[in-house]
Formats: sequence, structure tokens, C-alpha cells
Amino acid sequence: MSVEAGPRVVRSGSGSPRRGVAARLVGAVGGGVVSVVLVLVAIFWLIPTVGLLVASLRSETDNTSSGWWTVVTAPAQLTVANYESILANPAIVRSFFNTIYITVPATLLVVIIGALAAYAFAWVEFPGRDWVFLLVVALLVVPIQVALIPVARLYGALDIFGSIPSVVFFHVAFGLPFAIFLLRNFFAGIPRDLLEAARMDGAGEWAVFRRVVLPLGLPAIASLGIFQFLWVWNDLLVALVFADSRSAPLTVELQSQVRQFGSNIDILAPGAFLSMIVPLIVFFAFQRYFVQGVLAGSVK
Amino acid sequence: MAVDATGTATGGGAAAAVPPPGTGGRRRQVPWLGLLFLAPALILLGALVLYPIVFSIVRSLFDAGGETFVGLGNYGRMFTDHDTLIALRNNVIWVVVAPTIATALGLIFAVLTERIRWATAFKALIFMPMAVSFLATGVIFRLVYDQDPAKGVANAVVVSVHDLFNKSSEYPGAFPRDKKALPAHDGGYETAKPVAAGTPAMLPLVGFPPAQLPDSATQAKAAEPSSGLSGTVWLDFKPGGGGTSGVIDPGEKGMPGVVVQAVRDGSVVATATTADDGTFHFDSLSGGAYTLLLPQSNFAEPFNGVLWLGPTLVTPAIIASYIWIYAGFAMVLIAAGLASIPRDTLEAARVDGATEWQVFRRVTMPLLSPVLVVVFVTLVINVLKIFDLVYIMAPGSVQAEANVLALQMWLVSFGGGNDFGFGSAIGVFLFLLVIPAMAFNIRRFVGER
Amino acid sequence: MRHAILKTTAVAGLAVLLAACGGGSSAPGGGTTSSGEPSEGAFPDLSGQTISVDAVWTGAEQETFQKLMSDFESKTGAKFNYTSTGDQIATVLGTKVQGGSPPDVAILPQPGLLNQFAKAGNLQPLSDEASAAVDANYSPIWKELGSVDGKAYGVWVDASNKSTVWYNTKEFDNAGISSEPQTWEDFLAAGKTLADAGVKVPVSIGGADGWTLTDWFENVYLRSAGADKYDQLSTHDIKWTDPSVEEALKTLAQLFGDKTLIGDPNRALQVDFPTSVTNTFSANPSSAIVFEGSFVAGVISSSTPSKVGTDAKWFPFPSINGSSPSVVGGGDVAVAFKDTPGAKAFLQYLATPEAAALMVSTGSFTSANKNLDPSAYPDDNSRAVGQAIVDAGDNFRFDMSDLAPPAFGGTKGAGEWKDLQDFLANPNNIQGTMKQLEADAAAAFK
Repeated sequence: MSVEAGPRVVRSGSGSPRRGVAARLVGAVGGGVVSVVLVLVAIFWLIPTVGLLVASLRSETDNTSSGWWTVVTAPAQLTVANYESILANPAIVRSFFNTIYITVPATLLVVIIGALAAYAFAWVEFPGRDWVFLLVVALLVVPIQVALIPVARLYGALDIFGSIPSVVFFHVAFGLPFAIFLLRNFFAGIPRDLLEAARMDGAGEWAVFRRVVLPLGLPAIASLGIFQFLWVWNDLLVALVFADSRSAPLTVELQSQVRQFGSNIDILAPGAFLSMIVPLIVFFAFQRYFVQGVLAGSVK
Repeated sequence: MAVDATGTATGGGAAAAVPPPGTGGRRRQVPWLGLLFLAPALILLGALVLYPIVFSIVRSLFDAGGETFVGLGNYGRMFTDHDTLIALRNNVIWVVVAPTIATALGLIFAVLTERIRWATAFKALIFMPMAVSFLATGVIFRLVYDQDPAKGVANAVVVSVHDLFNKSSEYPGAFPRDKKALPAHDGGYETAKPVAAGTPAMLPLVGFPPAQLPDSATQAKAAEPSSGLSGTVWLDFKPGGGGTSGVIDPGEKGMPGVVVQAVRDGSVVATATTADDGTFHFDSLSGGAYTLLLPQSNFAEPFNGVLWLGPTLVTPAIIASYIWIYAGFAMVLIAAGLASIPRDTLEAARVDGATEWQVFRRVTMPLLSPVLVVVFVTLVINVLKIFDLVYIMAPGSVQAEANVLALQMWLVSFGGGNDFGFGSAIGVFLFLLVIPAMAFNIRRFVGER
Repeated sequence: MRHAILKTTAVAGLAVLLAACGGGSSAPGGGTTSSGEPSEGAFPDLSGQTISVDAVWTGAEQETFQKLMSDFESKTGAKFNYTSTGDQIATVLGTKVQGGSPPDVAILPQPGLLNQFAKAGNLQPLSDEASAAVDANYSPIWKELGSVDGKAYGVWVDASNKSTVWYNTKEFDNAGISSEPQTWEDFLAAGKTLADAGVKVPVSIGGADGWTLTDWFENVYLRSAGADKYDQLSTHDIKWTDPSVEEALKTLAQLFGDKTLIGDPNRALQVDFPTSVTNTFSANPSSAIVFEGSFVAGVISSSTPSKVGTDAKWFPFPSINGSSPSVVGGGDVAVAFKDTPGAKAFLQYLATPEAAALMVSTGSFTSANKNLDPSAYPDDNSRAVGQAIVDAGDNFRFDMSDLAPPAFGGTKGAGEWKDLQDFLANPNNIQGTMKQLEADAAAAFK
């Protein structure tokens, strides 16, 4: 039974055409109606983003005097000047790399450390395991603000305040509870027989982890990676507090272009789109794993 | 098979069918290696997450400066501080409303996208807001909710729908030059004294931009004296000012199309409309005892839309933007859950003659409920931590009405208060609030084992 | 990169040269030479040292300050490491201090922060040289404002004039208002005339930002109650229930309570400061007058098609009951967190007229440095604003809400900000407003 369940976990989200209950339900309701409703929802969902996109392509003066939809009648308003002026700042390029230097290690470390811990919580027996796990999951609720001052003291004592590693460690620590929660639930569902079989073959814990758990957990890991990636990529507060000017990421650098007074749409809107590009690429690249991973982690 | 599916759906469910991992079978000699696997996580969590909690608990027992021990004083203050109580109330609204709606929408979207061909595009679109930072979301929705219908898309829609049914007035905001001679009456203006027939009435108005007069408007002039009631309604102001008030000066134009009503004993007896030069005539009415009324329909202010970010609607408006972000999160998780429901179970139900709706209600929903719970609990925890969205979106004048605990904590510690004692107390309280959610998780978790 | 630095240095050097020339021809009493000349030689060689600076400035303002840093680099060889904190300066500095890595120098937007850090022992007092430069170049009030318990910590890098009323010249012409209002009565009358002319919201109020309302109150109060009462209220030596507060609120209610002047107050409470400016100077203005500080000019240039000096002009806040010209203002103060030679020398440099000349050279800032040659200003408008600060002399008063503890005078959605927003919503509630202000002040001044 479990043996059968195992491979299905891995394959079920592969996108092959299925006719689930919902599909039939949809069929019963009427495909046309559903399509119309979904198109309306899609438009409704898109409007705010489209508004921001158009606003990013208009001058500040236009934005403060009329709504973005007026471009329909006056397309001459459109300009890429806002993007040009943002990109003209050499610090932006540097900060873009800083963002990558922060986001990539922070994502990889969370995945690796989280996977190791999740494996231990799922498959290694030790006293008090469940309670430690619960404590870790409970840490999910700790707001970042609570930690700023104490962690600043700690970093001060360790003399790493202001460096990129200090930002990375902070993100890793605050990403771990969710990582462990998600991955442990997934790993615990891996058919025991597969692990036993590997162990019979004489594989140690490390080999079991690497050869069985990691490959089977790939979808979950990919989905976790995306969440963590998005979160770190868009962070402003942690970087603002812990990164010095040399290690400032894109979000911090963008905010430093913001005028003290003003709507600043001409900076924030193109900034939002520029900083959205990479997360969206990552999202589309990992989308299949992502959907699959989450499915595998929560329901198998 | 069905048992297995339900069991594993809870996350640790392999345990439902087989003995708990690690306990049965051959005893493994390597717990120390397992602990080694845990070590990096525990060290980081201990140093950077657990330590701050302990620090906060201790700090919450001290005053703003951190020198004086105040015991539970900060906690007592929390329940007497008006702002904090409002924040608490809003948190309740948030926790009840936001996760529920986001989860429900996620469910609906996930179900409806099961078969459409552009499902991936739709899902990506609904999920896209997750890739936008809160700062940008704040900017987006400040744009959406702008009170000015010329700039905010929400009010632009509301106003154009409204104007479809209610035509706006010709001269919004215009008011009499002399409010004593022409006092307000039911939103319009009525002459204070009866108007005598034969003496043309002079009804000067101001408060309307001369440039916005209809093109047909011409130089105002006094009405020709006649046997009936007559008069002139004109804009007693010309570009550049000047002229004598209450007198038709050269350059001052009539206000065409103003509805004038003759009133006797409180009831309207006749209605006239002004000409291009502002004159109007009631030829049939002679004699005295009529007052002239310029009804509200001439001046009604245009509908300016809804104050989305005003004191009453601000929390729902911000919650809506939160749902905009997190419905995609819920949808993706639930869609994944749907995708994994074993077909055999459904087919079995169908073979038994169940209708599609019954299958959905009786089979799909129960199998899906663990996912819904995971989504819901994650969102509850997330909602409790929300502060930046509220801080960015709520105008300062209604921030107190939109306040939530996480924001209040931020404000008292960093946003000007510099009272880390009180801030820590709120932080600890927030942590305590989550215990019900955690207890729920714990029960579920222990149940699985 | 290197080229860029060289270029800015060259530009900066040119500006100094120009300022110095101007000073040479029309220096009042040789102030420029007494403090400017010796300071040239007084700066130590700081090659190889890096000075870290944290400030709120971003964008154009940051670029302006960059000129000062480049100039100092070329004088001493020190390098700079500038971090702009945006609005989060209190958080960032607070955390850095806790983490044991404060910047060498920080530019604080509020004296309240200076007080807070000074009292916590985080700041270094000014060196004797810097202190002397402040004495030589500023009115005593500025040294006082940068001192805590008799020790001087801060140098006021810039000063803003928050007693400027900006108006749309086209709307004034349209309405036939030919002279700038001098008195409060003139001011209200002008508003009514604009309303007659069809301006929907003659006076634009940015009520969504509480600080704009505190500035309204402070200007009215300074004029109706006088400077002495203003000082007493600033330090909470008199209560907010004082009759003088009532009188000021009554005066203010003449404006806030008149819908023909300010439109629907509930809408005014949704308008933030930048929008209050763009509403007045956009292509389709709904307002004609907006009151705030000299920085209104920056918003006009960046966000509206109007030109400062032609489409947009300003007049001093109107006199109330014959009050003499006075200015409510603010500013940014530089302080040292570390006792390094670079930090000391840089603060000393910031107090010099040549630094002030660079600071005002772009039009983003005005300065309280009394030995600054007015020709350093790039245009008549900023020169007039700056001149008003220097001319106000003893009648200059620092923004009261900035002097108060931040919990009262500087927190979004709380304290004085919130109380005055409630007052704008309900201007009849003068007694209730006073009580609430006093309650909040009493809690914050504890």
C-alpha cells in the first residue's frame, strides 16, 4: 500500500490531464460561465498591477494630475524616463548583486539546514523529539521586529554587524521554522520501505538522506526555495538595519532614491517592477516543482 | 487506499498505517548523527530567534529606559491603553476575516481552474502579487484607493457607475453672493423675501469657475420688466475679479439652464429655466407673495466616491489588499491538494450513484480539509504578524482606527515611542495570542503520531 | 568611478570659489574670513581614514550633501561611507548603537533624537574647534538647540523655514487678488474671494500627515501667544489647557471650521502633504493656497508642471493681532557618535560658511549660518526663504513638535498629530482638543 503511495507522491502533480471531481463539477456548472467568471476575476486581479505598471511609465507630473487609465486616450504620456533615471545610478547595479549575494545563500542555507533538521525530526528517534519540533514550529510566529535589538547586540559582540553574512544569518534563522515545518511533514510521508531498503543495503544516515530523501523531497524543496527566495528578495527592514552601505541590497538602494516629500510613484513603481523581474522568472522556472512540492508537502 | 490517503493528508500520516518511524524494526545506533543533522538549525534558531524571545520577555518587565523593573506594569498598561485596545479589536477582525476569505477564494479558484486550458496562466496571475514587496503593494493600493476619482481607480469606477444613474448637476458648488438675501433651503437657495412681479429679481451666484460656464452663456442682463415674475441668475464674478458685488458688471455672464421655482405657501406653483443671459420669466404669475427657489438639483455636489481609507472603511480596505496577495498562496496550496486526491475514491463514490455535488461535499471536502487547515493556520499566524501593510497604507489621520498589535508594537518601540519595555510586552502578548493556533497544531500533530 | 569623484570635487570646488568671491566683495564685518580662512588650515590630514555618515537624506538631497563630503575629502583626504536611512533613522541608529557599531557621524532630523542619544551617553560632545566654529557662525539659539545639559553636541547643517504660505499665482490673478495677504484677516478674506471665484478648496490642507497640522498650530500660536508662551509650551511649562492655547485654536478654527475655505475636512484628512501641494499646483488645481515649509518648493518642481517664482510664489505666514515677523522652522543636526579625528573635523567643517554655501547651492536647503553669503543661493526664492530665517533673529522658534518627546510630537497616528487631526475633523471641539492634548503631553513629558 505504502509502496504504491510513494511513487504517486512524486508523480501526481506532473500535470497530466485528469478529470477530478472539481473538473466534473465545473462541467456541470457550465464551462462557458466558469470561463467568463475567471476572466473577470483575472482582470480584477490584474488591475492594481496594471495600474502600477502604467504609473511606472508616466511622469510624476502626469501621475499627480490624472489617473493612469488616461493613457488610453493620451498614449503620448508613456515614457521610460523613470526607468532610465533609476538605472542611471551605478549603485543600483551594485545593489542588485548584493541582493543576489544575500538571497542565494540565504535560500540555499535555509533549504540545506532545514532539510537536515527536517530529516532528523522525521526519521531519527531521540528523546523529546516531538516537543523540540513543536518549539521550532512555534517560532514561526516570532515577528522580526522583536529580534532586531537583541540580534544587533549579538552581532555587535561577534563583530559582524553590517556585513552580508549578518543579513544572511538573520534571514536563515527566520526562514528555518517554516522550512522545517514544511519539509518534516513531507519527509515523514516518504514510504518507510524505501528508507529501510536503503538501510538494508548498508547505507548510513547521510547516504539515506542524500540518495533517498533528497531526491524524493525535491519538489517540496523547490517550493520552499521559492517562498524563501521571495521573502528575502523583497526584504527591506532587515537589510536596512543590518547591512552597511557596501552591502545594501536593491530594496535599500531603491528606497534611498525616494524623495523625502512626494508621492515617489516615479521611483517606487519602476523599482517594484525591476525588483519583481527576478522573482517572477524564478517563479515560472520552478512553477511546476512549486505546485507539486507544496502538494507533496501538505497532502500526499 | 482511502484510509491511507486521509492519513497521509495530515502530513505525518505514514504513521497511521505503519509504526512510527525509527521505533520499529532494527534499532539504529546513530541518534548522535541525527542530532548532528539538527545542530545547525538549533544553533541558529537558538541564537537568533529563541534568544530574542527570552530577551523580550525579560525586557517587557522593565520600563522604557530599561533600568527600572516594573513587573507586569507594561502588561497592565496594554489593557488600559486605548490605542492598544483598538489594535486588539482590529486584530480580531483581521484574524476572523482575512484568512477565511483568502482560503475560501483560494478554494473557489482552485476548483474552478481544474479544467480551463489557461489554468497555469490564471494561477500565475493570481500568485503574482506574492512576488511584490509590501512596500510596492502599499503604493499600488494607495493608487487604487485614492479618494480623488480622477486618480483612484476604485473611486473612478464607483463614480462612473453612480453617474450612470444620477446625472450630476449643472453648477455644483455654486452659492449665492449674498447668503442673507438668498438663504439655504433644502440644499438649494430660496429668497428670504417675497419677490414682487414687475420688479425683476436679481439672483447673483458665485463659487463656480467662470471658465466652466456653458459655452452658450452670454453677458448677463437684467430681465425686461413685465407683468409677471422675472429675474436674472448670473455668475457675479468675472475672471480677474473686480466689479461690484450684486450688480451685473460687464463681463459677468448669465448662468443658463438654472431651474427656478416659484413658491407660494410652501408649495411650488411654477417652474422656469434660465436663458443664456441668465434671465427667467414666469409670465403667468403676477402679484406678490411668491418666493423664488433655486432647488438643490442645480448645485448638488458631484458624487466624489467613497473614502476607502477613511475611518470606517480603512481596515476592510487594507484586508482586501492582503487578500489580493494571499488568495494566490491559498489557491496554489489547495489546487495542489485537489490534484492529489485519489481518483479511485471519487470513482467509487460515483459508481455508488452520487451526484457531482455530493461527491464534492462528501468526498472531496473531507479529503481536502487537512490542506484547508494548513492554509488557514498559516494565514492566521501570518495575519497576526502583519504591520507594514497597515503602516504604509493607512493615512496618518486614520492610523489609530486601522491599528493592529504588531504595528502598535512597532510604533511604541521604534516609530517614535522608544519604549522598548512596552513594545516588548506587546510582542510577548502577540506570541501568547498565537498559542491557540499552536495548540491546534499540536493537537493535530500529536494526534498523527 | 574615479572620474565621477573628480568631477563632483571640481564642481564643489567651483562653488566654494564662487561663494568665497561673493563673500569677499560683500562680507558683513569679515565673518567669512574670521571663520573661513583659518579653518582651511585647521583641518588635519585624514588620508586613509573613513568617516561613516548616516542621514535621512535620499535622492537630490543626498546628492547635495555629497558635495560637502567631496569637498571635505579633497581638503583632508578622508573617505566617506554614506548610508541613507530614509524614515527609519531612529530604528537604524537605535539598532546600530545597540549593536555597538554606530556611524561616526549621523545627521538627525529631530532635536528629540539628539536629546535621546545624548542622555543615553551615546554622543560625543563637540570639539573645542567645532564649538568655536558654531559660536562664530550661528546665533546663540542654534547652539542651544544642539546642546543637552549645557554640553554642545550638534551642528545645524541646514535650517528650514516653516512659515511660508505658497500660492498659485494664476488662481490669485483669476480671483483678482492683487496683493499678498499680510494679516490673518486678509488671509481669510483672500480665501473667501478664491471660493467666490470658484476654487473648490481654496486652502489645501494635508491633514493625512499630522505634522502639517502641528505646523499650522505652531505658526498661529507663535503669533497669537508670543515667543515667551511658545517657549513655555514647548517645554510643557504651561499646560495645553492654557487660555493662550484656546485662543490659538479658536483662531485656527476660523479656517478649519469653514468649509468654503478648506472643503470637506474628512477629505482634507485623506490628503497627505505631497498631495496637498500637487492639488494646488497641478495642471488642474483644485486649490490655490498651501501652507508649509520652504521644502514645498521641492515638491512643486518634482511633481507639478508649475514653476517656482512664477506660477508658484510664497508670502510669510500672516501676522495675527499685529504680531511682528517671526519664523517657525526646523533643521537637521549633525552629531558624532564616535570620538574619531575624522568625526570631529567633519563637524567643525559643517559649521563653516563654506560648507553652508555648498549646502544651499542646489536650492534643496536653506541655512541658518549667519555668515553665509546670500549669493550662494542659486535663486531668489531660496535666498528669500533663507534670509527670512536669518532676519527673524530672536523671533525664530524651532518647530515645537520636533522639540517635544517623539511620542507626543513625532509619531504618526498618535499624540499631538492625532489630536490636531481630530480637531480638524471637529473644529468646534476646542475644549476637548485642549484636554486631549494636555493628557497626551503629560504622558509623554513624564
